[in-house]
Amino acid sequence: MCEFSRQEFIEGLQMLGVDSIDKLKYLLPSLRAELKDEHKFRDIYNFAFGWAKEKGQKSLALDTALGMWRLLFKERPWPLVELWCQFLQAKHNKAISKDTWSQLFEFSRIIDPSVSNYDSEGAWPYLIDEFVEYLRENQSLEACTSGA
Amino acid sequence: MSQAKKKTFKIEPFKHKVEMDPKYAEKTWKILEDAIHEIYNHNASGLSFEELYRNAYNMVLHKYGEKLYSGLVNTMTQHMREIARNVEAAQGGLFLEELDSKWCEHNKSLQMIRDILMYMDRTYVNNFNKTPVHELGLNLWRDNIVRSPKIRDRLLDTLLDLVHRERTGEVINRGLMRNITKMLVDLGQTVYQEDFERPFLDASSEFYRLESQQFIETSDCADYLRKAEKRLNEEIDRVTHYLDPKSEAKITSVVEREVIGNRMKLLVEMDNSGLVSMLIDDKYDDLGRMYNLFRRVSTGLQTIREVMTGHLRDTGRQLVLDPERLKDPVEFVQRLLDEKDKYDKIIQLSFSNDKTFQNALNSSFEFFINLNARSPEFISLFVDDKLRKGLKGVSEEDVESVLDKVMMLFRYLQEKDVFEKYYKQHLAKRLLSGRTVSDDAERSLIVKLKTECGYQFTSKLEGMFTDMKTSRDTMQGFNATLAGSESNEGPTLAVQVLTTGSWPTQSGARCIMPREIFEMCNKFKQYYLSTHTGRRLTWQTNMGTADLKATFGNGNKHELNVSTYQMCILCLFNIADHLTYREIEQATDIPAPDLKRSLQSLACVKGKNVLRKEPMSKDISEDDVFLFNDKFSSKFYKVKISTVVAQKESEPEKQETRQKVEEDRKPQIEAAIVRIMKARRLLDHNNIISEVTKQLQARFLPNPAVIKKRIESLIEREFLERDRGDRKLYRYLA
Repeated sequence: MCEFSRQEFIEGLQMLGVDSIDKLKYLLPSLRAELKDEHKFRDIYNFAFGWAKEKGQKSLALDTALGMWRLLFKERPWPLVELWCQFLQAKHNKAISKDTWSQLFEFSRIIDPSVSNYDSEGAWPYLIDEFVEYLRENQSLEACTSGA
Repeated sequence: MSQAKKKTFKIEPFKHKVEMDPKYAEKTWKILEDAIHEIYNHNASGLSFEELYRNAYNMVLHKYGEKLYSGLVNTMTQHMREIARNVEAAQGGLFLEELDSKWCEHNKSLQMIRDILMYMDRTYVNNFNKTPVHELGLNLWRDNIVRSPKIRDRLLDTLLDLVHRERTGEVINRGLMRNITKMLVDLGQTVYQEDFERPFLDASSEFYRLESQQFIETSDCADYLRKAEKRLNEEIDRVTHYLDPKSEAKITSVVEREVIGNRMKLLVEMDNSGLVSMLIDDKYDDLGRMYNLFRRVSTGLQTIREVMTGHLRDTGRQLVLDPERLKDPVEFVQRLLDEKDKYDKIIQLSFSNDKTFQNALNSSFEFFINLNARSPEFISLFVDDKLRKGLKGVSEEDVESVLDKVMMLFRYLQEKDVFEKYYKQHLAKRLLSGRTVSDDAERSLIVKLKTECGYQFTSKLEGMFTDMKTSRDTMQGFNATLAGSESNEGPTLAVQVLTTGSWPTQSGARCIMPREIFEMCNKFKQYYLSTHTGRRLTWQTNMGTADLKATFGNGNKHELNVSTYQMCILCLFNIADHLTYREIEQATDIPAPDLKRSLQSLACVKGKNVLRKEPMSKDISEDDVFLFNDKFSSKFYKVKISTVVAQKESEPEKQETRQKVEEDRKPQIEAAIVRIMKARRLLDHNNIISEVTKQLQARFLPNPAVIKKRIESLIEREFLERDRGDRKLYRYLA
């Protein structure tokens, strides 16, 4: 997991026009800024799945996934990321499929943090349906305890 | 005499005009006028028709038609007025009679007058577009008598009053009524309608409104319906006897509206006598009456149907969810069948086999049968009971009818695959224990299931029957080889070889068999594998039975019919007199739950306790000691102790079966998804769900969440992918 081949490394840096550490350092802020663009972010996000998983496995181990999410969503903040990670550790505890990974990004993009615009017929992966249920249960729990 | 030519001669009319002088016209008219008077005064006998006709003819010929016509009008009008006075003067009941008799006379007079003036009718009247004589006579009658201010209202009131009295039970003069109404009709449909019919309908409407109000408050439903029917028939009778036929539809719709239509809801919902109690008490006549009356009103039948459906669903729901009933599955199903029979009968006898009611019945049953998730299991148990003993000695037609009824319930089930699973289990037990009452009945049911659900549903079941037959043949071959060999002594073995896919899977069975049995089994295995290479045989020790000859201390000999496990246990007592639970467990290696159950049947059931247990408690504990019961006695030589009979599953067993069913459904759902996507290539989420549901509904109702999981699994295995642009679309990957 998390491997670059030598060829990828050389070709990639060539395309960026980088042949020294200083040049790379110089380029980093603009690269980071690219993450703000939604399309670029999506590409990197989806790439991250294939890159982070073990060779030969179809799904991504949970711990790795959690780490990747936290990392990625630092650049593009999503308020529910911690709850999502909590939920997975409490209720799922299995590897993450590619479909779930990619659909999670769409979820973070489309659905607002209070999940008020969540459509249960919206062809979301089952795991995300369960996450929403988890959120709603906890919301109502909070409402109860805060009211008491 | 000369031969003179015969000449045809003609008589020529006068060439010069013969004028009638006015005086002559006046005289002629006078003659006619007098004649009219005479006619009206019933003195027509002295008149000469020929003379009068000629006079009228002449007048018209000589262009005095106008004078003739207007004279006619005046004279007749005069007479009408006089008649009117006479009629007005009539007292009380004589009013109508007077009117009637005068009308009769008028018609006769009019006839005569018309005959006399026929030439005028045909020529002058036509040429100058005047009203013909007969019609004129009617119009004059209408305007001067029937619509005369002093007569008009009085006539209407009298007629309505008579109708009212007849409705309240008095006898009236129907002939007279008929004549009067016929008179009105003859005067023209508008006269009949305006002067009589419309007010009649209004008055009737009011009458029935009040009466039905009173009835509703004082009668019960059945009573009310009887009265309503009576009133309806009366009105139809009334029309036949003295109203114009066209009034029938109108008056009946008034009655229908006031007596039935406006009171429907109240009637149907009456406590203790309304529709629901009629249904409960099978009141066929009253229900039939209600049906016939209500069908005359729009939404009438709908009302009945809705109440019936509501009631049926409630009773059904109670039936199906009542914990008491659930204790006996056979009783449960029988009760459902009884309920269906009851309503079939009602629909047949009272609702004239109305299809919409049949449909309502079917949809109600479908609704509540599926409220209980155990319905499929129970229906299978019911069938099992019938096929094991219930249909013993029953005629072939009756067997067919019971099976048909079962099929009817089967059709209502949503989870047909659950039924299939249980049916297989129960059938396996029946076949293996040889406990089926009739092979024909079994096969008949399979055929019915095949017709209903297709070949796939029954192919495995048929496989089971085939295995049984094949095993019989195999056994023949095996026994033949035994007969030849030396070891003819030893236990007799009967083996059924089951094909793994067709029979319900059981969790791995194991036990240590008695030596003699074990040797015999090996012999069979050898024989079988010699003719069928490449196959594997596993002994299913949890499904077998054994017949043991036992001798007890008191000299009693009995033949015991037991399960294989029980045989293993009992044979231990050939060597030892008493054994602890643990010793038995070790010696036989039977799984604990089965061991406990077997021991219970052997030691704790009165009349079948070939073993004694210490302590004498009902439950088996691991510290118990078992002894051979020397003192066992039974009035039967053959004693059945086996525990291999189909029964209602315990809670954990039920969960297990349900889980298996859910597991079986997954591949079916996936197959359906792949089929659909292969055909459509690109389809959105909601449509997949609905298509899949449609495809599978003959077997079960798939849960959308489960379908979604299967879709995700297929995406994972790269059969499908999401569309790049629209995440709700799925694409088939070839």
